[in-house]
Amino acid sequence: MVIDLKSNIFNQNDFKTDIARNYTSFLSNYPEIFADLILGSHFDFAIYDSIESYDARAPIDVFNVYRNGEGIEIKPGKANNADLELALSVEAIEKLIKTKDNVEYAQLLGSFYNEPNEENGWIDFMLFKRTQKIIEMGYGKFAQTAGILEDDGSIIHL
Amino acid sequence: MSKSQELKIKDKFTGETIRTVTADTIETVHEKIKKVHRNQKLLKEMDFFERAQLLSQFASKLRFNKNKLKDLIVAEGGLPVKYSEWELNVVTNGFKFCDWYYQFLEEKPLTSIEGEQLVRIRYIPHGLAACLSPRNTPISLPLYQLGANYLVGNPAIVKPSTACPLTMLEAYSMMEEIDFPALEALDLVIAPGEWAVDEFIKSPLVKTIMTITASHTAKDILVRYGRFLKKTVDRSMGVDMYTQPFKNFFFECAGNDAGIVMNDVNMEQVAKWNAMASYTNSGQQCFSMKRIIVHQDIYDEYTECLIKEIEKLKYGDPTNPDVDIGPLGSRKILMMMEVMVEDAKKYNAKIYTGAEKIDTGKDYGLFYKPTLVEIKPEMCEDLSKAPFLWREEAFGPVRSITKAKDIKDAIKLANASNYGMRAVVYTSNLNNIEVFKNELEAANIYVNARPMLVDITVSLGGIKDSAYPAGCKYYPQELVYGKYIYDGTSLNLEKIK
Repeated sequence: MVIDLKSNIFNQNDFKTDIARNYTSFLSNYPEIFADLILGSHFDFAIYDSIESYDARAPIDVFNVYRNGEGIEIKPGKANNADLELALSVEAIEKLIKTKDNVEYAQLLGSFYNEPNEENGWIDFMLFKRTQKIIEMGYGKFAQTAGILEDDGSIIHL
Repeated sequence: MSKSQELKIKDKFTGETIRTVTADTIETVHEKIKKVHRNQKLLKEMDFFERAQLLSQFASKLRFNKNKLKDLIVAEGGLPVKYSEWELNVVTNGFKFCDWYYQFLEEKPLTSIEGEQLVRIRYIPHGLAACLSPRNTPISLPLYQLGANYLVGNPAIVKPSTACPLTMLEAYSMMEEIDFPALEALDLVIAPGEWAVDEFIKSPLVKTIMTITASHTAKDILVRYGRFLKKTVDRSMGVDMYTQPFKNFFFECAGNDAGIVMNDVNMEQVAKWNAMASYTNSGQQCFSMKRIIVHQDIYDEYTECLIKEIEKLKYGDPTNPDVDIGPLGSRKILMMMEVMVEDAKKYNAKIYTGAEKIDTGKDYGLFYKPTLVEIKPEMCEDLSKAPFLWREEAFGPVRSITKAKDIKDAIKLANASNYGMRAVVYTSNLNNIEVFKNELEAANIYVNARPMLVDITVSLGGIKDSAYPAGCKYYPQELVYGKYIYDGTSLNLEKIK
């Protein structure tokens, strides 16, 4: 079943960086990526300019995505009581926003998770709630759709 | 003071020395045991979720440094680079989501027959664990042992194999780099297992000994423990009193897993999975599919499919991303594979493919070609007289294939083993699936599962000679005990005041 989801970006001028503005505009074109999340899911996208800044938990910009009944809401800043943080390097976002469709986007996002690289780009995530709760909220399926967690069977090809 | 030994850790394919490490001495092992024991309190200052969060963050550190770790895994372990990814994922995924284990450790109330909840079970860490890891997994199992103990709050000493300690040393130094909290309660020991085990047994500070090893080695540890206890007997009161307290032993041992292929499957697909399940990491895997049992209706055709898949496997330089089969971990394994095949030949067993070695004459670059040997069902009727290849774990790339008449016969053959780690079944007959689930004697049953399944919900364990104590558990469960607390205060406070 294809769900037609809507996306809304709020207060886009409040973002600190152009990269966040560009990335949120891009994400709003693909709300279907968030279809597996249950209503009320709420998480942060944090943008880092280096692995050191990630280690120090000092992002250059943060926005949050909320899954409502119709689709997603994107707002500047951290979510109140976020479920998790998806951390992305600037280099990763620069490449992600150039992808042509959500399939290409998911593949690239997955490669940044599975082959993280300071120069080329990387992503990571931190859970703020218990794994079981996160799974129940649909994030496991979301991670697969988004290309972050791949099917382990595909890791080894004979 | 004992003299410390320099260990040259060699590349398993080229024989070059990767690094020389200074091994621990008996004295340094004692110091490390005392140090981690002393620092147990640091673990107690954090709760389960803090420790889980820290391990989860460390998983990211491992992932960001995966190429460095993979290079070491390939060099010192001889694991093909494509397999090293899997080896690393086992532990990074396990750590990333390790708070999942809380469901087994959460304090629980028990309801009495009167409907009251006066009793609660609280899970308490056993205390210092000494862990020994095998050489087929340079990082996943030793790091998992370290992490599982940390998670539940046990100080731990982990002894990776002296054949491949570098990946673990690198992981530990990454923990040092980030000032991993309470790292003082965790340490590594680089020492030969023969005497390290004795020191762990003798130390009163060590509460648990956990190993992943051959079943015979595990039994030897129990024998050593018995000898040690015997020496501690106090006869001053006229009766034998053993002065040392019990230790906990958790052994993950050998597997000789049966893999049943019934006559209702897509043979090409199952043969592909079978080849992966049987020969990944050159078959040096406890849960490898070792005894392949095939329904007679498809036996010839399936064997042909499987041989095709086996012969596609590429062996050679493990740094080559196309290579499936890397060098064997030791000359002993090469010798064991030869012995098993020669023994099978005495039973007139048919060798379908393989049975050739590449022997450099050194202790590196050793290969045994992926081998498939027919073992006739009548050879397995009396286990004590069955071919060595059927009776014992083939910890290398030699596998047996046996014809079964029907489902009953397939189950009988699968159960004809002293081991009981996993059993694997491929069938599309939904009526038969429940029969397999009920009748197969193994701690883990995998029905129509893809091979090399990596999932946090996949437990460890075995029955028969595959684990001690028998059962199927998750590590963190084994590292704690349940304290049953009856609190009658609400009923009796006024009476006892």
